[in-house]
Amino acid sequence: MGSVLALSSSPGRQNWPFSTDPPPSHWDRRDGRLPNPGSFHSLHRSCKDVFPQQIEGVKMILNKTLSSFFKVSHTLHLSAVSPSYYRFHVEHLQSDDYSKDKDAPALIGEMDSSGSLNAHALLHLTERVRARTVFQTQQSQFVTWQFETEYRGNDFTAAVTVANPDIIRESVILVAHFLQSVSSGLVVGGELVYHRGRAEEGGILTLAGQYSRPNWVATLNAGKGGAHASYYHRANKQIQVGVEFEASTRTQETTTSFGYQMELPEANMVFRGMINSRCIIGGVLEKRLTPLPATLIMGAFVNHRGDKLQVGLGINVG
Amino acid sequence: RYLWRFGLSWACAPTDCNSQGTSADRSLYMGSVLAAASPSPAPAAAGGSQGVQGLASFPPGFTMPPLSSVPPTSGSGQQMADADPPLPNPGTYEECHRKCKEVYPLQMEGVRLVVNKGLSNHFQVSHTVTLSTLGDSGYRFGSTYVGTKQTGPAESFPVMVGDMDNTGSLNTQIIHQLASAVRTKIAIQTQQHKFVNWQCDMEWRGEDFTSAVTLGNPDVLVGSGILVGHYLQSITPALALGGELVYHRRPGEEGAVTSLLGRYTGDNYVATLTLGGAGAHATYYHRANDQLQIGVEFEASTKMQDTTTSLGYQLDVPKANLLFKGTVDSNWVVGATLEKKLLPLPLTLALGAFLNHRKNKFQCGFGVTIG
Repeated sequence: MGSVLALSSSPGRQNWPFSTDPPPSHWDRRDGRLPNPGSFHSLHRSCKDVFPQQIEGVKMILNKTLSSFFKVSHTLHLSAVSPSYYRFHVEHLQSDDYSKDKDAPALIGEMDSSGSLNAHALLHLTERVRARTVFQTQQSQFVTWQFETEYRGNDFTAAVTVANPDIIRESVILVAHFLQSVSSGLVVGGELVYHRGRAEEGGILTLAGQYSRPNWVATLNAGKGGAHASYYHRANKQIQVGVEFEASTRTQETTTSFGYQMELPEANMVFRGMINSRCIIGGVLEKRLTPLPATLIMGAFVNHRGDKLQVGLGINVG
Repeated sequence: RYLWRFGLSWACAPTDCNSQGTSADRSLYMGSVLAAASPSPAPAAAGGSQGVQGLASFPPGFTMPPLSSVPPTSGSGQQMADADPPLPNPGTYEECHRKCKEVYPLQMEGVRLVVNKGLSNHFQVSHTVTLSTLGDSGYRFGSTYVGTKQTGPAESFPVMVGDMDNTGSLNTQIIHQLASAVRTKIAIQTQQHKFVNWQCDMEWRGEDFTSAVTLGNPDVLVGSGILVGHYLQSITPALALGGELVYHRRPGEEGAVTSLLGRYTGDNYVATLTLGGAGAHATYYHRANDQLQIGVEFEASTKMQDTTTSLGYQLDVPKANLLFKGTVDSNWVVGATLEKKLLPLPLTLALGAFLNHRKNKFQCGFGVTIG
């Protein structure tokens, strides 16, 4: 389900719409009350951020901040395996006291050289109620259109999402999320997915739990559709480690991955590596070329089972 | 049928010479390492930008060590004074187009790690691990031995170079100086256990001329072989003229191809033209200043019935430890390579990408060289 809600191309944790407080703030006690658990999508996020993203071909990203509200970026991707494209991305923030720690109400749009559109609108309707709308098209055809409403209580979060409602085909996907802080480190919740098509309908219930300590976070989602467990550990200021296990009843397979992230701020370098039970090994190196406002990214992924290699280079300017 | 002409450009052993060699030496060195790492795909992958000269094709970076300390392409009249100076030796036949070809970037793909280790003044070893997106990843071990007979400030003989693949393919050359003017070379190349190329060559350098005879893939049982004769003569300090005769024989057929070569060297440029039965090949090399070198190449082949023009340039910024090479082709191929030394460490990072607009194909790769 998470894949329906993610931006198609985002390398970008910074593009994640409802990026919630990172784990450290879960552990802050505010006046002895239990903290808000954040949103359901970000449960596994701290572990997923440790893993490198597959990079292929040459990608050049030019970021330009036109004002404190308005940001624009141009992406040019030359690839050997998929068609090359140019992508234009624009972000308009609702308020200019944006900081990465909070959710930022924003309008985000992305357009491809083939005409594919990706549009997100995030609004803070009141202090506790948030709304999000996502539209994704593949050239001229709409692939995703969904509407989400989230209510953040003192120590709980509840959200309802309507995805791809189609009156003509009589199909819809409804998702309801609920997360409750039970103690200062423990968050428990669930997700109910109801999908209906012309010929069939069904529901899947998944229970989720997350336990956080100052240095590590363990999360588990279990339900009829499969299980997803992740463990994130921050060894020291420089090294973070993540282990992930996924099992799906639909595809009848399980995958275990191990990833680590090494940050060397003195060398302006971040390295992420991962190894998989599917015999995939990958590593991505990001280096800031300091006098210039540019970042060089080099990555390679090897699939030993199929004996395939994917190599990528990228440069981010601005 | 390809005839491989290998020569070895002797690059100083790491303990021997100043690590801040000229950019030409360094690119030759890099070229020889890269060429040693993958000699077989290099001419196939290089396509139109690395030409075929008659029947001969060669990977860049491999040339015979210069006999005298005067490189053949320097302004040959500059060090000589006055009337009737002796004409300089023109160098070898293969080197004539070399200066222009070295300006062009090599196609890179996949990931390559090269570790070079100099074990002594005479012996050097290199390990190469290649992970390739187009197949055949592997490990290659290469070694170079330079003998003790010293004939010049930077040359010693015999030179033995060998490298072996993880599939068992061997590539080896032995170069030796038999007398003060005669050099001989034996080169063998195998593809796993099968011998693909075996050739022997002898070169005689006179005062103002060079002549060479090569016997390639002689097979007494089948009665086939290739015989190549080269002759290059200095007419004036700047002008050199020469010719090549290739005679090939197979059971049932035999044939010969001749070409004529002319090379003119100016203060900061070299223009070379080869005309023959197999087509025409013209190159122009220009050294604009200390940092920028440009090469233009035109090739016409009667066998393939097509012509290619390419422009290449090399930008050397020693202060930034950067070497950038770019090329544009009449086949709508655009490519570039960037090499940077990451200085406190003995590491060199190389990034390269080639884009063929006509066929809409893209290739990129990077490599790290240690030592």
